[in-house]
Amino acid sequence: MFLHPWAIILGIAAVGLPLAVHWLTKPRPVRMPLSTLRFVREAVTQRRTRHRLRDFIVLALRTLAVLLVAFAIARPQFGEEPLVADSQSGSALRVVILDVSQSMGALDRGVAAFERGRTLAADHLRYRPGLRVNLILAGASSRSAFEQPSQNFEALRDELSQASVRPERLDINRAIAKAAEMLALESENDDRGRELVIISDFQRSNWARADFSPLPQQTQIQLQAAGSDAAPANVALLRSQIRKRTAAGEATQLEIEIGNYSSVDQRVATEVVVGDATFRVEGMCPANRRTTFVQEIQLRQTGWQIGTARLTKINDALAADDERAFIVEVRAKPLYSLLTRQSADHRPSSSYFLERALAPDSDRPEEASVRVVRIDPVNVNRDSFAAADLIVIDHPGKMSADNVTLFADLLRRGLPILYVAGETIDATNLHLLVEAAGGGLQMPVAFTPPSQDQPRHGLFLTSVRDDAAPFEIFGESRQAMTGRLRFGGGLNSSRLENTLDDDVLATYNDGTACLVLTFFDAGALAVLNADLARSNIATSEAFVPLLDQLVERLLQRRTTVTEATGGEPIVIRLPADVGPASELQIVGPPLKQHELVSVGEIVDEGAGAVWRWPSPDKPGAYRVMRGDETVFALPVGLPEEESPLERIAPDVLKNRLAGALTVSYRSASNETAERDVMWTWLLIACILCIVGEFATLSAFKT
Amino acid sequence: MSTLTRSRFLDLRALASLAHMRFTTRRRIEGAYSGRHQSRQQGGAGEFVDFREYSGGEDLRRLDWKVFARTGKAFIRLHQDETNLLCTLALDASGSMLFAGNRGEPSSKLRYVQYLATALTHIISQGQDQVGIAVMDDGVREYIPPRGTLTHVTLLQERIEQLSTRPSSTMADALRGLFERSTRRGVLLLMSDFLMDDLDDVFAALRLFRHRGWEVVVLHVVHPDEERLPDGAAYRFDGMENDGHLSCSPSEIRALYQSRFKSHLATVRQFALAGGCDYRLVSTAISYLQTLQGFLVERTG
Repeated sequence: MFLHPWAIILGIAAVGLPLAVHWLTKPRPVRMPLSTLRFVREAVTQRRTRHRLRDFIVLALRTLAVLLVAFAIARPQFGEEPLVADSQSGSALRVVILDVSQSMGALDRGVAAFERGRTLAADHLRYRPGLRVNLILAGASSRSAFEQPSQNFEALRDELSQASVRPERLDINRAIAKAAEMLALESENDDRGRELVIISDFQRSNWARADFSPLPQQTQIQLQAAGSDAAPANVALLRSQIRKRTAAGEATQLEIEIGNYSSVDQRVATEVVVGDATFRVEGMCPANRRTTFVQEIQLRQTGWQIGTARLTKINDALAADDERAFIVEVRAKPLYSLLTRQSADHRPSSSYFLERALAPDSDRPEEASVRVVRIDPVNVNRDSFAAADLIVIDHPGKMSADNVTLFADLLRRGLPILYVAGETIDATNLHLLVEAAGGGLQMPVAFTPPSQDQPRHGLFLTSVRDDAAPFEIFGESRQAMTGRLRFGGGLNSSRLENTLDDDVLATYNDGTACLVLTFFDAGALAVLNADLARSNIATSEAFVPLLDQLVERLLQRRTTVTEATGGEPIVIRLPADVGPASELQIVGPPLKQHELVSVGEIVDEGAGAVWRWPSPDKPGAYRVMRGDETVFALPVGLPEEESPLERIAPDVLKNRLAGALTVSYRSASNETAERDVMWTWLLIACILCIVGEFATLSAFKT
Repeated sequence: MSTLTRSRFLDLRALASLAHMRFTTRRRIEGAYSGRHQSRQQGGAGEFVDFREYSGGEDLRRLDWKVFARTGKAFIRLHQDETNLLCTLALDASGSMLFAGNRGEPSSKLRYVQYLATALTHIISQGQDQVGIAVMDDGVREYIPPRGTLTHVTLLQERIEQLSTRPSSTMADALRGLFERSTRRGVLLLMSDFLMDDLDDVFAALRLFRHRGWEVVVLHVVHPDEERLPDGAAYRFDGMENDGHLSCSPSEIRALYQSRFKSHLATVRQFALAGGCDYRLVSTAISYLQTLQGFLVERTG
C-alpha cells in the first residue's frame, strides 16, 4: 500500500524521462562522406561492446533512480493495511471512538497517549465526499458530538480539540453499543460503508470483555493503538483507608495498598496528611504485585478527617493515580441501641446477656469503651437511633409497620442490625423487615415459626464457617469451644434459592440456620437464631468473643468510608443523623479557574437524605456540610483498573473478541516507524544509483 | 613551350617559380629520343664515360685504336647515351579520392591530384620529356601513352581537368592492365590514397613494373580529416565506395581510429619501399606547389 499512489503513475511516466533526455540530448549526426569508413567501422566495432555496456548500465541506473524517487514519494506502507483510510472513496458512515479514560493520560516516551490518540482521531475527521462522521468520547459513559454521523467536520474537530482525559475507566461495550446505533442500517437499500475507528491504549483491564457483536456485519473496524506495545511502568496508590472503627485517641490501623505495575521491585513511600498529622508508610513493593501496608496510628480529633495520601519520590507513567483523597470518620465511644421489651432488671434474660456481652466493662461507665442504651419498642422514633452505631434487637415483640420501615431504611443507610430471634413472633418481624427492605436484602434463609411437634432445644452446631468472623477467632480450638454449646428456642429456617451459601455462618444439627449475616446496601443484618436464655452459649466462655467478632464484622461496613469512582454514578443514602436535604451543602475540592464540576444533588427520600451524583468527574474529597459542620464526606478516586497499563494482545482483539467482524489493528510502532520507513531506504538507494552512474561513467571514460 | 589550352588547374604564374626545376630520375631509363636522362644503353654517340677490355665479337668501331697503338691492348670506349623520359601518371579515380572532409569539394584529394598532375605534365613536358596518363579505378578507364608534343600535353591537361571518380574498391587489375599496355620502360608515378581492398595485389602489380625496370614513384595522397576525424559530437559517415554508412561519435573512437589509420600509412609505406618504389606521403593540407617543389628538389638530388 502506498500513501501517495499517484506518485507511482508519475514515476512510471518519469521512467521515460531518462530515455527522453537521452534522446533529446543525443547529438544530431552530421552527415558526411568518408573515405576511411572501414577504419571507423573497425574502431566502432571494437568500441561498441564496451560502450553498449556502459550505456546500458547508465541508462538502467538512471531509470532506476527515477523509479526509486517516485516510489519514495509514493511512501510505501508495509504491514497490515488499514481498513479505514482517507484514500478510500464512496459514501460511508464513520464513527470514531476515542478513549478518554484515565490510562490514556499515561506518558509514553514523554508524550501522553491521549495526545497521540487525538492526532490519530483528527486524521479520520477530514472531509471526504459522501462521508459522514461522528465522534464518541468513551469513558465510563460515552458522549458523542452528534446524535448521528454528520458532515460538520469543523464541529467534530472542535469537539476533539476540547476533549481531555477523564478520571474514569473505559466501558468499551457501552461505546460500541452507541456506535452500533449510529451505524445501524436505515433501510435495506442502505449500501453506505460502515467504518468504526477505535483509538485507545487497549488496556487489558478495559478490553478483556470487549464485545463487537452489536455492530452491523459489514462494519470495517479499525483499531489504532495510541500507546506503544510495551506497557510503561506505573506505580499506583490503590487504596488508603482505616481498617477498623476509629475512635478518638484510640489506636487504629492505617491501610495503604500499592500496585507496582512494573517489571522491577520498587521501594515506595507514602505520605498521608490528615489535618496537622502526617503519617509515612514505606516499604518494598514486588514487581507486578499489589502490596498492602498497615501501620498503627492514632487520631485525636473526632468527626470527619479529610486529607490526602500520596506517593513520594515516584516518577512513573501515570501521575494521576499517585494521589488519593484520604477520609476517615473518627467517632466517639460506640453506642449500641438494644431494642427489647425485656426489663433491665429482669435477670437472667436474653437482653441481659446481650448487654453484658456487648459492654463487658459497663460497671465502670466512665471507663467503659462502649455504651449500651436500652430502647423500648413502644418508644421508638427516628431520633432514637441517631447516634447509634449498632442496633441489637432482642425480644422486640410484634414490631409496628413504622418501626419495620424505619429499620429497613436505617439498614439501607449503613446502620447494622443484630437480630436475636428467640421468639415465634420474630419470624413475622424478619419477614416484614425483608419485605420492607425490598429486593436488595436477600437473606439466604427464610425464617418460619417452629412447629409444635418439634420443640427446639438441645440443638448443637454441625456446620460452622471457620474461615470468617466470628468463628475465625477460635482458630484450631473452635471445635472445643463450640462443641459443648447447646441452643434452644429460635425459629425454623429453610434455604432460599439463588442466595449466597456463604451468608449462613453456622447451622444446627436439625439443618436450620444458627447465624446468618447478610449485607444490604451500606448496612448489614445478622440474625442469631436462638433464645439466649434457653441456651448455654450466653454462659459459656465463647459468647463474649463470638459476639465481639460478630459486632466487629457488622461495624466494619459502617466504619469503612464509602468511595466513589470517577465516572461511575453513585447514589448514597446519607446517615440518618445528617438532617434534611435543604440544610445540606456539598463542598468539593478546590477548582481551577473556569473549571466547572458537577457535584450532584441531595434530596430527601424516604426516611432520610439521598445524594445522587450521575458522574463524579473530579477526584478529591467531597464534603456534605450542614452549616460549618461536616456531616458526611466522600472520597472520589480513580478506578483501580486504570492503573495497570498492560496492553491486550492484538491477536486477542482481532481473533477472539472480534468474532465474525473484520478487524484491523494498527499499533503505534506500525504507524510511525515500521510501516513508513521504506521511503528513506528508497532515497538512499536512489543516491547510490546516482553515485553508481558517475562511477560507471568514470570507469568507462577513455 | 606554350600551351594551347588553358586548364583551370594549370597556374602558369605559380609554376613560374618552378620553371628552372626538372623532373629527373636517378635510374637509367629507356627513352624514345635523346634527352637529358641517362639511357640504359651505352652506345658510341654519347658522352665518354670509361674504357673496357675488348672481348671478341664486339663492334670494332668502338675500339680505341690509339690506346691499342700505345699499349698494344685492345680497349673498348664506353659512351653514356642520353634519352628522354617516358613518364606515366597513374591517377586513382576511385570514389575515395573525392573525399574533401568538412571543407567542401575544392579541398578534395581528387582536386589536389588534378592540380598536381597538371603541374607535373607541364613541368615534364617543359623538360622535353614525354608524359602520359592512366586513369584507374577497377580497371584502366583511360590510358594516354606518353608523348611530348604540345597537343598531347594539352590533351592530357584536358583529360585531367575532366577527371571524375567512380566507386571502386580495387586497383590491382587496373595496374596490371596498364602494365600490359606499356611497351617501353619509364617512370610510373602513381597518385593514390591506397584506400582499397586489394592492397597486397596493388603492390604485387607495382612489383611487375619494377621487375621490368620501371621506376615507380608512389605518391600517397591523404586528407587531414582522414588522419584525424573531424571534430563534432556525432557524425553519420557515408561510405564513398558503396560500403554503407555508419553513425558514431568521433570523439569516442578517435584514438582507435588514428591508430588504425597510422597503421595503414605504415603498411603502404612498407609495401612501397619493400617493392623498390619511391614513396612520398602527400597531404592535401600542404599546397600542391610546395609539395611539388619538395618532390622535384628531392628528385634532383
